[in-house]
Amino acid sequence: MTHVILRDLTRRFGGVTAVDRLNLEIKSGELVAFLGPSGCGKTTTLRMMTGLLLPTSGDVLFDNKSMVTVPTEKRGAVMVFQKHLLFPTMTIGQNVGFGLRMQGVHKREIERRVDEMLELVKLPGFAPRKAHELSGGQQQRVALARALVVHPKVLLLDEPLANLDANLRLEMRELIRSIQRELSITTVFVTHDQEEAVMLADRIALMFDGLLQQYAQPQDFYQRPSSVRVAHFFRNDNLLSGTRRGAEVETPLGTLQIDPSRMQQPDGKVLVTVRPEDVQLVPNPAEGNCVEAKVLLQVYMGTHTQVQLDLAGHTWMVHSPAHFQAQVGQTITVQLPASSIWLLPTS
Amino acid sequence: MQKIIRWVTMVLIVIVALAPILPQFVWSFSHRWLFPSLLPSEWSIEPWEYVLSPSSRVGEGFANSLSIAVVVSVLSILVGLPAARALALHQFRGKVVIEWLLMVPIIVPGIVATMGIHQVFIRLHLTDSFIGVCLVHLIPCIPYMVLVMSSVFANYGTELEDTARTLGAGPFAVFRFVTLPGIFSGLLVATMFTFLISWGQYITTLLIGGGTIITLPMVLFPFISGTNYSNAAAISLVFVAPAVLVLILTSRQLGRESAVMGGFGKL
Amino acid sequence: MRWLSLMEKLRAPLMVLPAVALVVLLFFGGLVVGFSQSLGYFPAIGSFDLTLRYYGDVLTDNTFFESLWQTFRLALLSTVMSSVLAIALALVLRNTFKGSRFFTFMFQLSIPIPHLVAAAGIVLLVSQSGILARGAYALGLIDAPRNFPVMVFDRPGTAIQLTYLWKEVPFIGIVVLAILQGVGPQYEEIARTLGANAWQRFRYVLLPLILPGVLSTSIIVFAYVFASYEIPLLLGVRHPTTLPVLAFQSYQDPDLSLRPQAMAMSIILTLIAIVLLIVYKRLARYAVNS
Repeated sequence: MTHVILRDLTRRFGGVTAVDRLNLEIKSGELVAFLGPSGCGKTTTLRMMTGLLLPTSGDVLFDNKSMVTVPTEKRGAVMVFQKHLLFPTMTIGQNVGFGLRMQGVHKREIERRVDEMLELVKLPGFAPRKAHELSGGQQQRVALARALVVHPKVLLLDEPLANLDANLRLEMRELIRSIQRELSITTVFVTHDQEEAVMLADRIALMFDGLLQQYAQPQDFYQRPSSVRVAHFFRNDNLLSGTRRGAEVETPLGTLQIDPSRMQQPDGKVLVTVRPEDVQLVPNPAEGNCVEAKVLLQVYMGTHTQVQLDLAGHTWMVHSPAHFQAQVGQTITVQLPASSIWLLPTS
Repeated sequence: MQKIIRWVTMVLIVIVALAPILPQFVWSFSHRWLFPSLLPSEWSIEPWEYVLSPSSRVGEGFANSLSIAVVVSVLSILVGLPAARALALHQFRGKVVIEWLLMVPIIVPGIVATMGIHQVFIRLHLTDSFIGVCLVHLIPCIPYMVLVMSSVFANYGTELEDTARTLGAGPFAVFRFVTLPGIFSGLLVATMFTFLISWGQYITTLLIGGGTIITLPMVLFPFISGTNYSNAAAISLVFVAPAVLVLILTSRQLGRESAVMGGFGKL
Repeated sequence: MRWLSLMEKLRAPLMVLPAVALVVLLFFGGLVVGFSQSLGYFPAIGSFDLTLRYYGDVLTDNTFFESLWQTFRLALLSTVMSSVLAIALALVLRNTFKGSRFFTFMFQLSIPIPHLVAAAGIVLLVSQSGILARGAYALGLIDAPRNFPVMVFDRPGTAIQLTYLWKEVPFIGIVVLAILQGVGPQYEEIARTLGANAWQRFRYVLLPLILPGVLSTSIIVFAYVFASYEIPLLLGVRHPTTLPVLAFQSYQDPDLSLRPQAMAMSIILTLIAIVLLIVYKRLARYAVNS
């Protein structure tokens, strides 16, 4: 149970700023995902939290104590990497017990706690085996057990699921989530997969080019993205330029009403967006934010049909019911519900 | 603190690496250099004139050493490369025994084998002959070639070759355009090893060559325990030059390619 | 079709055949001839009867045991010292820093240099009138060559050891360096976050990883030093000299009847080397795993 604060955390490599004045607070017991494309600075941040990398400036605080001068091995921030998981020269039991052995814990006590941990990650009786005898998913679980056994103050996972196949990844996500809840360890985990971040995290820190873009709960990234780039990262490219005046937005397709709770942008030039799954296809022009659109393309996706539309020169994506049928080039009516419209800054 | 340790270590490495070699340059140009002068009192190029004179037999030794080392290296490649490939990439019966047979000369002293082979060569009239000396040098060279190259082949795998074959490359084209470029740096290091092993041989050449085949180590040998330090140093430098040249050519591969040196971890 | 599958089957054995044939004929052939001669089978001097007499001669000779001890001591010391130094230097050199490529090159410099040249260089350096003695005189530490410590032709074999160290440290070192670079820093980073200090990271993470490489190369070094001839002959004391020197001297004696004894001595030397290698490997494994 550790409360983590990153204060103006900055790291430069030569002339390149990998992490730029990052400010972040992680409540104790929370599971936070650092999300972003590769090279965005998320792993660099993680390494600064462990102490493997010195910040150029700024501070890392655990329970309000500065950690910058505390060496990695005394920090209690345990890292699980995506590859080079297990020490190849040791058995599974020795791997899991490594941290305890470093502390000089008694042999029998190590054995007991190793068995307990292997039980927790659902690998009972694996202690005498060698690392190479295990599958990728099993190795990943052992690496997790090895980190958990020392009761870390902060658990740091660097793309822990990147090398696993789809099924295993789902299984591991659930395991990580349930163990994290059970032990309520403050956990940070790095990923470039937004779906994974959404499923696992209490909060997500989205980073681009070393800068924190948005730090919020998962649903906010869908419903309240902070910029076009954030929206794009969460697979929403539906944009329409307009001008906000009070509770209305003027667009080339007419005036749209917006919900009072969703009016973060000031009056003036804005971009209007509605997530593909929130756009409604309506048979007849009804009242309330209905606009005309031309069908460009439709693709049957099994659970739904993805329709590509032209809205006043902007290409929009819409998820319609699977049975939706229309001719390409046909003009149809779509509704942009006021409660789903979100305004983004233009730049 | 760590930086200080590092720089002290680095300075020591340079000093220790050069300490036995650099003074030989000075010695090779000295005529009189008595204790306790730190530099020669009389300089001269006499030692080098001696080296170049036929009576010193340095030229003859150099030519023999070089041609033997080249022949041995080429033979080691011809014989060792296929063997290394088979051991790295093929499964066949008796493979473990073959691996063991080929590694034994590296870790078991060759003294009995050398004496034994001498007896055989006497009967086959291979003593005092160029080819006899080459053959005896092959004993330690082939295992090194196989050891290094099998780990290079294992590391390189066959996927790229298979891809080239499906793209229509014949066996020669595959070797020329895919395999050879892939293993080249490893092969360079392995060849450096065989060249240098042959280049440095003394007692085997002495025994099998019987004093008829004069190589550089045999020319240098009496000078080391002698008193003419100047001549010793000059010959020594002639002996060292090609070796250092070889290192310069291969040093990049030596430090960087872990598969090459990794072979030594598998003995 | 049948022909093709036969070719497929024979391909690998055919590929290894030339190498195996040469090594077996030359090395193992020589071994067999040498072994039979040590048992008294020596047609050239008209001796055909098998006997253990020559082994007896060797094993009752005090000189043999003195030489054996000298050989063993030299080989063991140079192997252990080279390994330890090589590991330490590789640990420093594996980091990339300004000039690390140059220093790695300097570190490798002695690898291609023949042992004989190394020996010549060491003599010029450490003999009583060598560079070091002159330096000591210039600094006022000694006032005559005879006051400088004897390092050549001395009983401990200082110059011999220095020659081997200078030659073998880089050899073991580059293998360790290659392993370390292949391993990368991640295992240590994991160990660090799990609370391992610098010594623990070396002892429990790095050492087990580099051990196979260190073992193999130090075995090569031990085998080489144990059986080498020219360095102890040039830089060592006459009594006790090393076994290979003793054996080759008997072998090259104009009196051919000394040859079976030389062979017996060489066979014993080889057997001892093999036994020591096995013991060494076991011990090292045990020491690291415990």
